[in-house]
Amino acid sequence: MKQLRVLLADDHTLIRAGLRLVIDREPEFTVVGEASDGRQAVALAQSLAPDIVVMDVGMPGLNGIEACRQIRESMPEVRVVMLSMHSDEGYVLRALKAGARAYLLKDSAEADLARAIRAASEGKSFFSPAVGKVLLEDYMRTLERTGGEDSYELLSPREREILQLVAEGKSSKEIANLLNLSVHTVETHRARVMQKLNLRGIPELILYAVRKGIIS
Amino acid sequence: MPTAPEKSNVVVPDSERRLRWVLLGTFAALLVLILVSGAAATRTLREMHREEQDARRALSERSQTLSKLYVSIEVYNENIGRYLGQSPQKPDPEVRQQLDRLTSEIESELNGYPQQRQAEEAALLRSIEDLYRRHLGLYESAIGAPVPPEARGEILTMRAQLIDGSGQLNAWNGRQLRSSDETLLAQFSRLQASLTGSLSIALGAGLLLVIASMAYILRLERQTRNRYRELAQSRSELEQLSSRLVDAQEEERRSISRELHDEVGQSLGALLVDLGRLASNLPADSSEIRERLDRMKSLTERTVGTVRDIALLLRPSMLDDLGLVAALEWQGREVSRRSEMEVAVESANVSDDLPDEYKICVYRLVQEALNNAVRHSKARNAKVRVSGGAAGIEIEVSDDGRGFDPQRTRGLGILGMEERVKRLGGSLTVQSTPGQGTVVKAELPLPVPAGSPA
Repeated sequence: MKQLRVLLADDHTLIRAGLRLVIDREPEFTVVGEASDGRQAVALAQSLAPDIVVMDVGMPGLNGIEACRQIRESMPEVRVVMLSMHSDEGYVLRALKAGARAYLLKDSAEADLARAIRAASEGKSFFSPAVGKVLLEDYMRTLERTGGEDSYELLSPREREILQLVAEGKSSKEIANLLNLSVHTVETHRARVMQKLNLRGIPELILYAVRKGIIS
Repeated sequence: MPTAPEKSNVVVPDSERRLRWVLLGTFAALLVLILVSGAAATRTLREMHREEQDARRALSERSQTLSKLYVSIEVYNENIGRYLGQSPQKPDPEVRQQLDRLTSEIESELNGYPQQRQAEEAALLRSIEDLYRRHLGLYESAIGAPVPPEARGEILTMRAQLIDGSGQLNAWNGRQLRSSDETLLAQFSRLQASLTGSLSIALGAGLLLVIASMAYILRLERQTRNRYRELAQSRSELEQLSSRLVDAQEEERRSISRELHDEVGQSLGALLVDLGRLASNLPADSSEIRERLDRMKSLTERTVGTVRDIALLLRPSMLDDLGLVAALEWQGREVSRRSEMEVAVESANVSDDLPDEYKICVYRLVQEALNNAVRHSKARNAKVRVSGGAAGIEIEVSDDGRGFDPQRTRGLGILGMEERVKRLGGSLTVQSTPGQGTVVKAELPLPVPAGSPA
């Protein structure tokens, strides 16, 4: 079995040690390096070429989101699992935009880290359950107070299906194969979903899906 | 002596006070001098006028008496001549009566001559009187008897003497008038001299006083200018101080926040990881320990949350992690979560690499404005708009709450916002009308890029 090579980036030794214990527990994971700030994480990612980087958002010098962006720019095949204290959508959305596919709250890192690394390695998204909950609460509250309408109701069943598959990280071609549709049709559905939900780009779509509990 | 009320914190030095009194005293002395010399001159003039009047009155009285005397003597002489020319045996009783009347007239005129007489005058008058008496004696003896021719000649001589005497008296009177005129003239020139003297003293003293006063005023002016400069300086120092205080406060908050996050937060986080690991390693049948471990975990989680909230309040890590706009959006959501007010955040053209003090300023401004809205306005909705431009950043926080009167209510919150905005060279306005909501607007000029960008 191929070992998954993991790089840890957190400015706190204690946290790194804790994370390392969790990862070492899983036989298919191996920690190849530890970085204590964003710059070091970028440098180590480039020299070690890990499969997964587990990255803290708040680090001195270069923060985790910016480090994630730089790593993904030079090495798109590296998957990043973002660790954060914040379940706020500002963080989630920016992490997604920077190229992270998994977003874990530090509170629940111990329980979810292995699952998150596994999902990320398969190109899927993973979010701490609490994140989806907070995002949904914010969304529902705003809808309620501003008298807005839940735009999810506007989607057709086929569009909902495609929304979920896109959010899970599938390409248009994969979706077309799965649903026995032409790539063109899938693209059309996808564009309509984006338009109906007033979303700009895949990160916003993923955020929406997390908020609606379509993926987690 | 009443003095002008002075502010207790202004200390007037003794020398200053003395100088003030000296100037005041000199002024008073000058006024007194002018008053006194004026009054003296007036009095002297009045006296001179009275003396002159007296002299003139005395002269006219005397000359009147003299001319009457003169006329009476002439008439008398004429009558005597007529009387003597008549027959001595049969003297006309009517002429006699007339003579008697004239005699008494002359007597009374002689007596009526003013009593204040000078020695020369009195002598002249006496000689006239003597002549007259002798004259009268001659006439008396001549009445009723033929007048011898030598007596006739004597009578004529005496008559001439009499006229001559009264003429002399008249001339004396004229001299008197002239001499009194001269006296007056002398008095007048003395008065003139003394007036000129006191006037020049007053003028000199006035000149001195003007110079002294000018010097005093100039000095006061200089002092005022200095005081004003000192005041402006101390005010700017105060502003600098309060700006440093804001900086120090932010720095302190940042370090406490960092400490909380780095030390307390991370230790708790590590504790959580350990607790989780411990729980997962437990044998399946130890449910009591598992329960206890779960309680410890949830307590630790709550503590982590509390520590995080405090740290975020002290220093929003979003500002460092995500930039200003994201931090404002986060704040808007936080306020929406915790209060009944829904906050919408809009932003346009806000640069991500603003200097930290600008980010903090905008962030704290919005924080304070939203806090005020939640606490005081009972607003349902609030809107935060931040837009950047070439000139600077504009911030607007508006709510639909109950508003207030900004003229009357000016809390520490608004003052704090104003202070922060002002020290970056910006301006803040608060518009609010009771029942119409509140709009807090601020304009921050962008920092001038110093030299080349690093």
